[in-house]
Amino acid sequence: MRRDFTLFAIVWALVTAASLAVAYFIIREISFPTVGAEEAHVIDDAFMALTYMASPVFGVVIAALVVAVLRHRSSGPADGDGARILGTGSVPVVWFGLSSLLCAIVIVYPGLTGLWELRNHDEPDLRIVATAQMWSWTIEYPDSNVKVFGAQELVLPKDETIQFDVVSLDILHSFWVPAFRQKIDALPGQTRKVYITPTEVGDRDSDVAYRLQCAELCGVGHAIMAMPVRVVEKAEFESWLKEQQSVAEAK
Amino acid sequence: MTRVVRAPIFVGLVLAIVGFFFGVAFLGALRTLRGQTFWEIEAGMSVGYVFALVGWVAGVGGWQHWGREWFGLEAKPYTLTGWKRYFGFSPDHKVIGVQYSVTFVVIFLLSGLTAMLIRLELMRDGEQFFTADQYNAAMSFHGITMTAVAVAILLGGFGNYFVPIMIGARDMAFPRLNALSYWFVPPVAVLLIIAVLMGGWDSGWTAYPPLSVVNKHGQVLFNLAVITFGLVSILGGINFLVTIIYERAPGMTWSRLPIFVWGAFAASLISFFFTQALAAGLLMVLLDRIADTSFFRSSEGGSALLYEHVFWFYSHPAVYVMVLPGFGVALEVLSHLSRKPLFAYRWVAGAMIGIVLLSGVVWAHHLFTSGMAPYLHAPFLVLTELISIPTGLIFLGAIGTIWAGKLWLRTPMLFALAFVFNFLMGGVTGIYLADVPTDLHLQDTYFVVAHFHYTIVGGEIFALFAGIYYWFPKITGRMYNETLGKLHFWIMFIGFQLTFIPMFRVGIQGMNRRIADYPAEYSDYNTIISLAAFLLGASFLFFVWNMATAWFKGRVAEANPWRATTLEWQVSSPPPEHNFDEIPVITDTPYGYGGGPAHHRPFAGGAALATEER
Repeated sequence: MRRDFTLFAIVWALVTAASLAVAYFIIREISFPTVGAEEAHVIDDAFMALTYMASPVFGVVIAALVVAVLRHRSSGPADGDGARILGTGSVPVVWFGLSSLLCAIVIVYPGLTGLWELRNHDEPDLRIVATAQMWSWTIEYPDSNVKVFGAQELVLPKDETIQFDVVSLDILHSFWVPAFRQKIDALPGQTRKVYITPTEVGDRDSDVAYRLQCAELCGVGHAIMAMPVRVVEKAEFESWLKEQQSVAEAK
Repeated sequence: MTRVVRAPIFVGLVLAIVGFFFGVAFLGALRTLRGQTFWEIEAGMSVGYVFALVGWVAGVGGWQHWGREWFGLEAKPYTLTGWKRYFGFSPDHKVIGVQYSVTFVVIFLLSGLTAMLIRLELMRDGEQFFTADQYNAAMSFHGITMTAVAVAILLGGFGNYFVPIMIGARDMAFPRLNALSYWFVPPVAVLLIIAVLMGGWDSGWTAYPPLSVVNKHGQVLFNLAVITFGLVSILGGINFLVTIIYERAPGMTWSRLPIFVWGAFAASLISFFFTQALAAGLLMVLLDRIADTSFFRSSEGGSALLYEHVFWFYSHPAVYVMVLPGFGVALEVLSHLSRKPLFAYRWVAGAMIGIVLLSGVVWAHHLFTSGMAPYLHAPFLVLTELISIPTGLIFLGAIGTIWAGKLWLRTPMLFALAFVFNFLMGGVTGIYLADVPTDLHLQDTYFVVAHFHYTIVGGEIFALFAGIYYWFPKITGRMYNETLGKLHFWIMFIGFQLTFIPMFRVGIQGMNRRIADYPAEYSDYNTIISLAAFLLGASFLFFVWNMATAWFKGRVAEANPWRATTLEWQVSSPPPEHNFDEIPVITDTPYGYGGGPAHHRPFAGGAALATEER
């Protein structure tokens, strides 16, 4: 029994260390799409916090499996029974207490704190209306009377907080740019808002995370219901907007 | 010839067709009176189906063995014997258990084949051989059939077969209701297959309106099928609840129930209390289509969000209908094949009931990105995370049981141990989806696909195979081939990990789910996933080969090859017709290992006798 616990401790430490290493070097470094918005930091930080906290818990179960399989194999009932351990003592109580504590921690951080951070966004500098329909997006900049359609690009200024008013003309769709992380469904006839502050310049040609992808099954065109996204410096955005205005007037 | 004509399935089929045309004519007549066209496909199919269903269950035996009594006639006796019992209306819980198991294993394999086609299509970006529409049909078919398998196979198969024996009963509380619920299943399968032949439907297994109100006719068949299936679930749930509450043998107290019975009981509570919500949601969609109601048509004041709440109010608890009996099977196998009592029995049973209670108040975590009222986010985050506490106790039960045990690493044990690992992966990744900030990104991506395959396939289906190998000698009286079983296990386990671990990453990276095509950037990972999926698929060849050969030619099994202590192993393999000559009297817990009292073991007229007879 004593050797079981020693082996358990060793395997637990190894598995936990390995999980943490995978979390730090693989998940954190190379698994996320481009971090293109302020809110993406909150979400990725929450993801990492959960991963770090999960590692030792993962280690407990794996270590128990490893100890049992390595040290307690038998070749059948003729080898006799295991010890009569019923688990009626304090072990389940401690387990219950610890898991409740861990659960409470996860609820508060990164759960409720992350939620609070996302809600606590800056006042929007710019409002954009994103309208979904089978199977394309229409983007409107209501303050400057500019409208762009499916085949074009969604152009956004860097470092400005943008309020997206998301709505659908027909069935359910969902507004999602992987670089920005947050997702909100487009409901028919009801506007829903999402606030995003892009922090990096980027575009679809060089980065797959810069696409406005429909993320709610909407029929035959669902897979291709995506629009390229380009985030540019504020000055460039202003001139782009002017250009679009003159194009619209020329029509 | 007369033998064919009298065969229950044939009679059922004929009455189903007659019923269908009667329904169509009935509706057509009403429509004609109102000055409409005689035939309208969706309303016609719906009304025709209701009558066809009645014709089917009446013809297949519901009238002969049951319905006659309601009119003062005498019910006909059950005359089918041997293999024919499996193709007729049999009230025997063991026959029904085999009927469910075989039916759903066949559907499982068919649906798995569909998954192979899906992976073939997704092996590269661009269109391979499915059009986007065909892809959606295949994806939707895979989704609903696997959901049905997951809901029904453990309860319907092992539940029916073993719950009565394990509690010392001669049969289920309502044997004919049991038969009736099974015979509702073939129409479900037939409807879904016809739907695919008609071009399918493209709204997945979730059938979210408004899409499901405006898409192809196949949607109507889907709704009819799933409503019928809901009925199967509710009737089955009632039967298990009553059986477990009222049919326990003397001395079989609640704290002496084998843990699988607790799992079945907990899952049945959910089936019974929640399935109506799903049926109601789908009925509302159907009425929006065929009766011009406007539950979900926003232009007429309906709400698409309403459906999501109603749907998940059932469909989240439904995942526990799938996995609670899976916990039961896995813990059962872990205990008997470690030769140790189940660790922290009362805590585990309590955790199962805790999961049932919590399952009803967590549904809106599927709606974090749906645009529901934002103030609901925090409470559903909290409630959802709470479910990790009872689930953690299940893990405690598992690892406490194998700790210092005598692990006999036969095929069922390997599957049960893999269950613990897989469900751990599924459970841990579930936390990311319960947490609102991370869910906002991960919702509707391949991360979710990987997560629920880890819980349902890695959890429940691995437990299913643990159960199949564990109970195979009991059900068939023959032993499976251990080498083939282990080959199946290792290929399935490795294929499963290689398929679903990369999905987590590609999902985080930004690949959304339910798509026929994806940006070329995700191509490499998808090729790996597809190749691994083929490996996973290939493992079932060993399973099918093993089952087919062992069932007919396998070594004859003894009554209790595992030397296990629960009641089903104390009777012959296969068990006698009414399980026990004399109802056993239970004096202690089911897990009498390690020198403890094992009063599930000896009972009057039980094990010794049954074993000697063989």
